[in-house]
Amino acid sequence: MYVQYYMTPNPITIKPSIPIPEAREILKRHDFRHLPVVDSQGRLVGIVTDRDIRSAYPSSVLSGPELEEELSRLARTPVQEIMSTYLLSLDMESTLDDALLLLEHQKIGALPVLDEGRVVRGILSIRDLLKAYGELFGLREKGSVLIAFKDDGSPGILMRIVRLFENLDIPFTRLLRTKDKRGDAKGIIYVRARTYNLNQLNGAASKAGLELLGSSIKTT
Amino acid sequence: MASFRPLTIVTHPRYLDHDTGGDGHPEVPKRMKVIWERLDNGPLSNIIHRVSPEPAAREWLLSVHTQDYLLRLEEACLSGKQMLGHPDNRISYDTYEVALLAAGAGIKGIDLMEHNEAERVFCCVRPPGHHAEASIALGFCFINNVAVAARYWQKVYGKKRILIFDYDAHHGNGVQECFDQDPNVFYISIHEHPTFSFPGTGYAYETGTGKGKGTTLNIPLLPGAGDKEIMKALKKQITCAVENFKPQALIVAAGFDGHELDDMSGLCFSTNVFGHIGTYVDAWATRYCEGKSLTLLEGGYHLKTLAMGVETYLGGLSLA
Repeated sequence: MYVQYYMTPNPITIKPSIPIPEAREILKRHDFRHLPVVDSQGRLVGIVTDRDIRSAYPSSVLSGPELEEELSRLARTPVQEIMSTYLLSLDMESTLDDALLLLEHQKIGALPVLDEGRVVRGILSIRDLLKAYGELFGLREKGSVLIAFKDDGSPGILMRIVRLFENLDIPFTRLLRTKDKRGDAKGIIYVRARTYNLNQLNGAASKAGLELLGSSIKTT
Repeated sequence: MASFRPLTIVTHPRYLDHDTGGDGHPEVPKRMKVIWERLDNGPLSNIIHRVSPEPAAREWLLSVHTQDYLLRLEEACLSGKQMLGHPDNRISYDTYEVALLAAGAGIKGIDLMEHNEAERVFCCVRPPGHHAEASIALGFCFINNVAVAARYWQKVYGKKRILIFDYDAHHGNGVQECFDQDPNVFYISIHEHPTFSFPGTGYAYETGTGKGKGTTLNIPLLPGAGDKEIMKALKKQITCAVENFKPQALIVAAGFDGHELDDMSGLCFSTNVFGHIGTYVDAWATRYCEGKSLTLLEGGYHLKTLAMGVETYLGGLSLA
């Protein structure tokens, strides 16, 4: 659940003195949207985004000598003039939840991850975060199926569920206890399990006093 | 009175020899018996011509699976192991040989069609194949019969555009994986939504990668979906895809586990809908493939509806 395992490590960084067109070229070449700006020790001093670059460039309606002049001015302007210095960041002990809350709250696309000395160790984008949560929920885990049990709140229900899978020798990889968003918000326990043999699961669940909800289980 | 055109069934008594343990495992030898019995005694019995397959040659297995996997599978069977990788993948001593015969059925069907000795071919086989990947057994499948057939058709007969239509209730991850980057094979699968159903793949966003981008079409259906939903997809999305692709060859991965009485999925198809699917397949075959189509059995575990489903599908396919 820690960002350091899901971030892009050792990202490309730039110095504050590099001219804007060079920064633009780097962003374009790598198809990035964010570039951390660092000092000579690799410590974060700013962030430049593709939006900052676009704002700095002259209007597309300009042409001829006016355009030339603007472009040549840009070529002499370091990124330090346009970078953002209000810096939000994560550290090596930040969790994915920290990242999610910060990204959601601040409406930004990516966060640098810094060590204790403020050296940039990684960058975590919204895409990285989506991928991380997908992985945690077992999304695209081949050969798996999401089973939903009714959570009647009875004592030991979780133990009965775990025993059910262990007795059938069915590996399960995720267990989530939550409330159903439909109707009257009943309790649901979701399990991501690696099995195809639902007949067997259905029969054994009934015997264990567990009720399977909707999803792929039919009662005939 | 309905009349039906000739139908070739490729099958073998040895398919009964793949033993899945008999302790509640749904992929049972009886699945073959109920189909044979139904076809031998039903309205299609007069138009059926039965043919036996040979085991698929190693060359064709290697066009889909790795050598290492094939060795592991064979060794596991011969050394008396009861499963390969997961308890669902039950094996017995004869499983490897039977699986080669199942893979050989598609090859036999193709040879017959290419020599104009058959038009509509149904391979009544087990074990099924569409979940098996290059080096993984999965979901009761060991050799990917459909993928082996498609590769054979490409390499031996030079078929350039092959359409694989899979209506088993579960996504054929193995078929998709094999042809993911191949622009010459279009894989269409309609199945129960991967959020709820094994094998957890087959989301709509998966449309092929690299050169194969655009030649995979996944149509996930939510649990409880039935005839209305599949007929809508057949009429619009699927027909459109077939018309745009204009296949030279047509393979159908036919699973009957989407039936409302089949516990192995949350879909609720009627028996009749399989007949409609058959008529669609025949229409595409007539329009693009000189009337030829190769259908291979995949899933279907409720014995009564499996037999009826197969008969109804074949009836739709061969209706004159």
